[in-house]
Amino acid sequence: MSIRVDILGAGISAPGIPDWNGLRAVLDGRPLSSECESPRTGLLSPREQRRAPATVRLSFAAAEQACGMAGITPGRPVAVFSSAMGDAELADYMCRTLAESPQQLSPTRFHNSVHNAAAGYWSIGTGASADVTAVSGWRDSAVAGLIEAVTRAVTGSEPVLLVVYDDCGQGPLSNVWPVDQPFSAALVISAPSASNRSLAHLALSASDSENRHPDLPATLLERIADNPAARMLPLLALLAGTGPAAITLAAECGSGLHIEKVTA
Amino acid sequence: MRALHISAMTATCAAGAGLEAIRKSLYAQVSGLRANDFADCDLSTWIGRVDGVERVPMAPSQRDYECRNNRLALLGLEQDGFVARAASVRRRYGAERIACVLGTSTAGIEQSEQAYRHPEDSNRFGSRLAHNPHTSTRFVAETLGLTGPVMTISTACSSSAKVFASAARMIDAGLADAAVVGGVDSLCLSVLHGFNSLELVSEQPCRPFDRDRNGLSLGEAAGFALLESDPSSSIGRLLGWGETSDAWHMAAPHPEGRGAIAAMQAALASAGLEPGSVDHINCHGTATPMNDRIEAGALRQVFGTPPPAVSTKAWTGHTLGAAGIIESVFSLLAITDQRIPASLNCVQPEPDWSDFIQCRARPAPVKVVLSNSFGFGGSNCSLLFGAQ
Repeated sequence: MSIRVDILGAGISAPGIPDWNGLRAVLDGRPLSSECESPRTGLLSPREQRRAPATVRLSFAAAEQACGMAGITPGRPVAVFSSAMGDAELADYMCRTLAESPQQLSPTRFHNSVHNAAAGYWSIGTGASADVTAVSGWRDSAVAGLIEAVTRAVTGSEPVLLVVYDDCGQGPLSNVWPVDQPFSAALVISAPSASNRSLAHLALSASDSENRHPDLPATLLERIADNPAARMLPLLALLAGTGPAAITLAAECGSGLHIEKVTA
Repeated sequence: MRALHISAMTATCAAGAGLEAIRKSLYAQVSGLRANDFADCDLSTWIGRVDGVERVPMAPSQRDYECRNNRLALLGLEQDGFVARAASVRRRYGAERIACVLGTSTAGIEQSEQAYRHPEDSNRFGSRLAHNPHTSTRFVAETLGLTGPVMTISTACSSSAKVFASAARMIDAGLADAAVVGGVDSLCLSVLHGFNSLELVSEQPCRPFDRDRNGLSLGEAAGFALLESDPSSSIGRLLGWGETSDAWHMAAPHPEGRGAIAAMQAALASAGLEPGSVDHINCHGTATPMNDRIEAGALRQVFGTPPPAVSTKAWTGHTLGAAGIIESVFSLLAITDQRIPASLNCVQPEPDWSDFIQCRARPAPVKVVLSNSFGFGGSNCSLLFGAQ
């Protein structure tokens, strides 16, 4: 039994791959962009951007692109934020401060350390009053996020925004989260519709097979090996390519997903 | 959407390990809170610590998951024959057709906190498997042998309420036939000092809805339920749910309870029920002055005269990412036992809500219960449970 959905928009933000066109260029064999700008968001004022945790800028950059491509207001869709570790920088801050001077803990940094901080800021920044949720599957967070997003899309009446993101490891916690490059990807997903805006039609089904996807440029394979959020790259490549194709996103624990690009 | 049944459930919290122990505390009006005795924490407060978590033995095969949260998960799984119930469902549907969806807020962070306090220990972090938000979901899925979709929801204090909705969608979309849902959240320095830094923690046992309430008591808990559409026996049904966002503030609810009202109304709409059909409400009721006032106002807005409503947090403490599942269990116990518990420690409710907050337990016909869970980030979830 497979689940059919339409992809209405996509976005990406990572060092050297600042947006969808940047990804297409890399897929066409060109080198990574040399611009080293940090991810940007148009939803927060410059002051808010400085105060907001790094994961907010990272996740918003991809999410805003996906909503833009789908032609929908960012505050409209139900949103799913999926991340292995949440805010690694704030987790390091919390553990360090608790070890050294617990009475000095910053209340703002504490409430920003929750796993759903980026989701909460998205709701505040976009005015989204529909559900904005936060999930994790650790290294399976791409699969977990896709499952949550597609089951919402096909059981609800509204499009769903999925954002899969993870930042690099910080301080001693990089012992257990050895990730060097931040990564975020976003999709706007809907139940099958007659919309001609659709980037692709997909059929997804549970799978216990190994990872499988058409070959990708070495620079992208390095990202996949570095940051589990970049496991979205084979799916983004599938969406960017022409013609039918299929990939398998395996999970270390529980079911993975077989994803096929189909004609409507 | 097909009606889903809760075919098994269990809870472990400060009020007791397993349903019989919890019932005993509920009937005897005995709180599980104690003066703070959490290791390495000298804050003057009361906590809902679960006895003996530190001593729960883990098998050699489970050592990679070593942390307080997973010991608590294991203690929780051992109660009420839950492992055997999960095994029988696994045999019936097949392991790959059973989802495992659990909520948590801080998961294994206590293990990371300890590693930072002992920089001299070269192997201080141990296995990576314990140091991430997904650790207990993966641990429980592996312990129960479930190979369907495995997902953690971490939306602060609404986490393990939302698991019911996510699992129901997986079943509805055809990715699973049944699900283990629940939540595990253990005490740690992050939440004790964190909530203290926000000045939300009381120095006394929490007193939800009392006019002298002055903050919350933190707690820890593990709870699990089996969700399936056609069980051999049923405790109750999941009738509907509402999930909304406040779009307001990271750590404070919307002043008029906008998101809370919308969540309760969405739950009623999804169940096709009028407010008058609800017999009892298990409130979020954290006992901070602002939260209880806003929730009571939201209840007034949705129900006019709300049915008997209580907070059970004076029994358990605020168990954060486990609050949703623990209070779902309390809600279902109100149905199976036909008894509305007291809003413990509420001696003098404020006049604004004295007509519906129940200070004393009483037998009552309970067919439909609403359970509210609201969290940081403005994340709201209301669940409706019904008699089977």
